[in-house]
Parts: sequence; structure tokens; C-alpha cells
Amino acid sequence: MAAANASATRLGIGPGLRFADARSRAPNVQAEPIDRGADAAALEALGLWATRWTPLSSVDGLDAVRLDITGCARFFGGEGALLNDIGERMAAGGLSCRLGAGPTPGAAWALARYGANPVNVCRRDQSVEDALKDLPAAGLRLTENAERLLRRFGLTRIGQLYGIDRTALARRFASKDAANAVRFRLDQALGIYAEPLVPLRPPPDYAARHSFVEPLISSEGITAALEGLAETLCQQLEQDGCGARDFTLTAFRSNGSASLVSLSTARPVRDVGHILRLFRDRIENIDPGFGIDLLALTATRPDTLETDARALSTDLAASPVDQAALAALADRLTAKLGEGAVRISRPVASHDPARAEILTAFEGQEEDWSKTLQAPRGDRPARLLDQPEIVDVLAEVPDGPPVRFVWRRVPRRVKRAEGPERIAPEWWRTFNSETRARDYYRIEDEDGRRYWVFREGLYQDGRGGNPRWFVHALFS
Amino acid sequence: MAQKGVHEIAETRYGDAGAAAGFALASLNAARPGIWLWIRERALTTDLGRVTGLGAAAFGLDPSRLVFVEAGSSLEALLATEEGVRSGAVSAVITETREASFTATRRLLLASEAGGTPALLLFPHTRSGATAAHARWRISPAPSAPNLFDARAPGAPRWAARLERCRTAPGQAGRQFDLEFDDETLCLRLVSGLVDRPAAARPARPADILPFRKTG
Repeated sequence: MAAANASATRLGIGPGLRFADARSRAPNVQAEPIDRGADAAALEALGLWATRWTPLSSVDGLDAVRLDITGCARFFGGEGALLNDIGERMAAGGLSCRLGAGPTPGAAWALARYGANPVNVCRRDQSVEDALKDLPAAGLRLTENAERLLRRFGLTRIGQLYGIDRTALARRFASKDAANAVRFRLDQALGIYAEPLVPLRPPPDYAARHSFVEPLISSEGITAALEGLAETLCQQLEQDGCGARDFTLTAFRSNGSASLVSLSTARPVRDVGHILRLFRDRIENIDPGFGIDLLALTATRPDTLETDARALSTDLAASPVDQAALAALADRLTAKLGEGAVRISRPVASHDPARAEILTAFEGQEEDWSKTLQAPRGDRPARLLDQPEIVDVLAEVPDGPPVRFVWRRVPRRVKRAEGPERIAPEWWRTFNSETRARDYYRIEDEDGRRYWVFREGLYQDGRGGNPRWFVHALFS
Repeated sequence: MAQKGVHEIAETRYGDAGAAAGFALASLNAARPGIWLWIRERALTTDLGRVTGLGAAAFGLDPSRLVFVEAGSSLEALLATEEGVRSGAVSAVITETREASFTATRRLLLASEAGGTPALLLFPHTRSGATAAHARWRISPAPSAPNLFDARAPGAPRWAARLERCRTAPGQAGRQFDLEFDDETLCLRLVSGLVDRPAAARPARPADILPFRKTG
């Protein structure tokens, strides 16, 4: 058994017990098979929801959420009030919990699990040592063996470990490492070793929040509230003279879950209208559920806005492209079609046609093609197939262009051909000596269709059997 | 064509997509300078390949001015086209899609007239039915121009472009234009009727090379 509810615990049923034993204590005990994946997902959702109190939230182990509330507590009236608020909101969502707050993650862990009350706070006038001294040694996150050994020595309270030094402890343990592990956990709890937290989501650089007395249940309400949030956020950005490229709208539901919508823009943005337009189609993705009681709009990746003044006309800017309008269009398309839908071709220094250019996400940049276009190069086709397609070919001479070939089941007779253009494999990229040179031919069939075909290798070049033919592209 | 309105470019038979893309690229030279938005439906590009920057450069276009958009369906492609045409941020929108209804093209036409940006729709041969477009060009490849440097090699691309429908000049509908792309002046040239003659005869083969013969 992995977990038990309150009524089962009262009967002495708990984790570690075999199910048969549990049934002997309570014949009508109900059991559900464990689903660790669903548990982890639920815990992560809870962690996300907890970002309403602090941006630094993470999942801790199998059954806990860890929050870094440094600097956040004063907004809620102190640590105690913050923890009470968490407890109340969890209870409203039908979740029972134990809460602990301390100056170190280790102390909070021990207080939450072994504290006397459901809500345990290490007070400001209290030292960590003092807060932990009466808690059982199990509160130090020890391995089962170490815990059993400590119990055998009579070291059951954390406070008893304070005075014992490293060597004395090591003598009692089978290995130095085991003793050090205990000492390390103690040092972590007392704050001698730091224990940084890796947040579920990166903390935002700018945030605007709006909480509702009456929970929202419609997307119209969200749209209305979003307008105010975007204005607040853009004011913050304007004060710092910058724009942001990632925006996230998080809707915290009153039942202990949250849903979020993120989008990124091609250039830094702080235009309220533009942000609202991008979110407009995505707001439907937010399920209000039983009601949303807090909305937060956050911004990350801030960057300086190049200029706030728009060029009077594109003629004055000496460029036929209105970069701001183009970036706005790219953002709208990305918001509609998904991440990475808008792309631009970037030249690569390679003769391999499949690698000569790569599509990269459009982020307002302009790729420099001038060098590539000046380099001498054979004719390049209009449409490049994703994968070269193998074809049956009849050639006049072994090293010559094809005379007839079958592509996509249709036999085609070649009328004219030009080539070969030999493209050697890039030996500095692949260590496979079997890679063969390609001889590309530009050919035209009797209907006037033009193709780009290649023969992979030569006859008797010592790299495998007879060379194969491929169609790689269609010429216009 | 690349100045205003909505125009259709359709393949004649399966596999003519290369010619249709070439015709679209060639006509872009007449568009006003700026960004060209090339929208393509994924199902079409996996079948018939994708237009590349170097391919566009062969038509005298600057590849850094081409912005590609990948759409998952016809609906998405048309949505993106309308956004692009309305925005005024691009100088032409080219859309490769399998299907577009009359209503959708009518919307595009209105958007194009409002935004002043032309839209070119590239359709496969399977597409049929009316649209609201200004004109429909049906493109098929034709034997290429004679190559001055090598009689056996293909020359400048030629296409037979039939103006199937034309709203602005109904009298011209049904005419066929034999066009050739000139890569020096970067424009299309009408070619004379002689285009139908067979390709230049191959020079006689030296007697010592025997052609392969099917045996058995």
C-alpha cells in the first residue's frame, strides 16, 4: 500500500502495509490501483496552480509541492497568513494538505510532515535549530537504513543530532558515506548547505494580476479582464523602456487547478492592441471550469524596443519592408497556426542540395544571402522533394544521363539532358566511407517536364554495388 | 498579375507543379518590392516538394525576401492568406493549397482589394469548380528553348499558359500563351508557334559506341 486516507489511518492502515493485512483489519477496505503517472501530472498541475502565491514553484518528490515564498509573504500578511490562505483554498478545492514553512527547504519539509499542527510555521523569532529540535529524525529525509540505525542508537529527535560531530557519527555507521549522508541532510535542514529550487516555469520578468471576488465562468469575462491586464503590463514595460517576446496568460481556477496560454512574438512587443489580438483566438482554449478567481498575465524575455516612433512612410525608412507590420503579421500567423509555422530560409555553406539551406523560425531577422548568391553554382530547381525518390533508369552508357526512367509508376522518355554536376559527399561531416558522390543531371522528358535526377556513385567505384538513380527535384 | 487581385494558377496534369511554381515565381518579378509570403499546405509539399530559396534565386528573386508559412490544412492556408493580404505588410501572397471554395476566394478578393495586396493561388490539377478569382491560368510545361551552348541540354523554361477564365477581360479567355522565361531580363517572353517543333536532333553517335539493347 502506498497511501491511505484519514479514516483508514485511524484503523492503523498506512503505507508499507500489505493489502491482505489491511483487509484483515478492515474487511470492507476499498483499494484503487496506483497510477504514478497520473499522480505526477496532478501534482504538477497543483504546482502550477501554486504560482498564484509565488513564481518559484516546483514538484518535490511523489507527494509534495515546494514553494519559495521569500519576499512573497508580506503581500499576504506574513507567512502564517499565507499558509492559512493556501490551506483554505486547497480545502475549497476538496484537497486536504499539510503545510510547513521554514527558513530552509529541509526545515519546511520536516515541519510539514512531522509538525504538531496541520499548518506549521517556523516563527521569525525562532531559530531553525529550535524549530526542528523536537521533530523525529525521520524529518531529515533519510534513507530507511539510516533512520533505523539512528533509532537503534536512541537518536530519535533531530535535536539529539546537533551535538554529535562527524567522526563520532561515522564510527557508528557501516560506512563513512552513510554517516556523511545523515550529516549532509542535517546541514541542509539547518541551512549550512544551500538547496536551490528549479521552478516549473521560469519566473516572469513582468506580471500583472487581477483577482475576482466573484469567480469568472465565461470567456467574455476573461477577454474583458485581459484588456486591463495588458494595459498594466504594458505600462510596466514602458517604464523600463522595453518590450517582451513571451507572454503567458494563467487562469487560476478556484478548485485548485490552473490553465495557461502562452505565445511568443517575433520582435519585442508592448502594444496592448497587438497582445489582445494574439490572445483573442486562444482564450477559447482556457476552460473556466467551476470559475476563475485569479488571472495573471506575465511577460518574459524582455528586450529593448528599437523605436517607438513609426516611420512616416516606408520610403523614408529606405526599405520597402515595414518590419513592424511584418513582425505583427508573423505573430498573428504563429498564434493561429502554431509555433514554428512562419519560417525563413537561411543559407548554409554546403553544396549538398538538401543541406544548402535550412528553414528557421522567423523572428524579424533578415538572412544574408548575398554571399551564397554570388558563389558559382549550377542551376537549382524550383521544387525540391523532401526525400530523393528512387527510380528505375535505363542509361545509354554507364556514366551517362538516363534515356528512360520510371518515376511514380509513369515511364518517361528523356529528350534532353545536361550534366553531370558532381556533388561529392562532405567527408568532414560523415565518417561513413560508404557515402558516394552524386552525379546530378538536369533532364527534360518528351512532355517538356524537367527533373533533377542523380546517380549515387559510379560503376565499380568500390563503394557498394551498382549505383542507384534518384529523382531529387522538379525544375520549372 | 502580381500587382493586384486574386489569381489562380493551376496545373494541367499531375506532375506539372514544377511548371506552375516556376510561372508563379516568374510573375513575382513584377510585384512591387517587399516581402513575399509563400504559404503552403503540408500535404502538397510532401507530395510535390517545396520551393527553396535557391530555386527562387534562379528566377532573380532575393531569397531573404521570401517568408514561408506551413499550414496543416486548406482552411489554415486560406486563413493565413487572408491575414497576409489584409495586413499590408507583404507585397504578394502565394498560396499552395488543394481546395478553396467560392466563398473563401470571394473573401480573399475583398481582402485583397481592401489591402491592395495581390494573392496568387496555386492549385493542383484535381481542383475544379468556380472561384471568385480574377483569372485562372492553366499551366503545362512545354519543350524548353534551344540551348545555345549545348544542343542536347534543356534551355530556358517554356510553358503553355492557357487563360481559362478572365473576369477583367472576358474576351481573352481561352487564349493560350506560349511563354518563355528569360533569365537575363527576368521577364516572360511570348514565343512563336515554332515551339512545337521537335527538339534538335542529336549529333550522330560515333560508330564504336553501341546502344544497350534489350535481349532475351
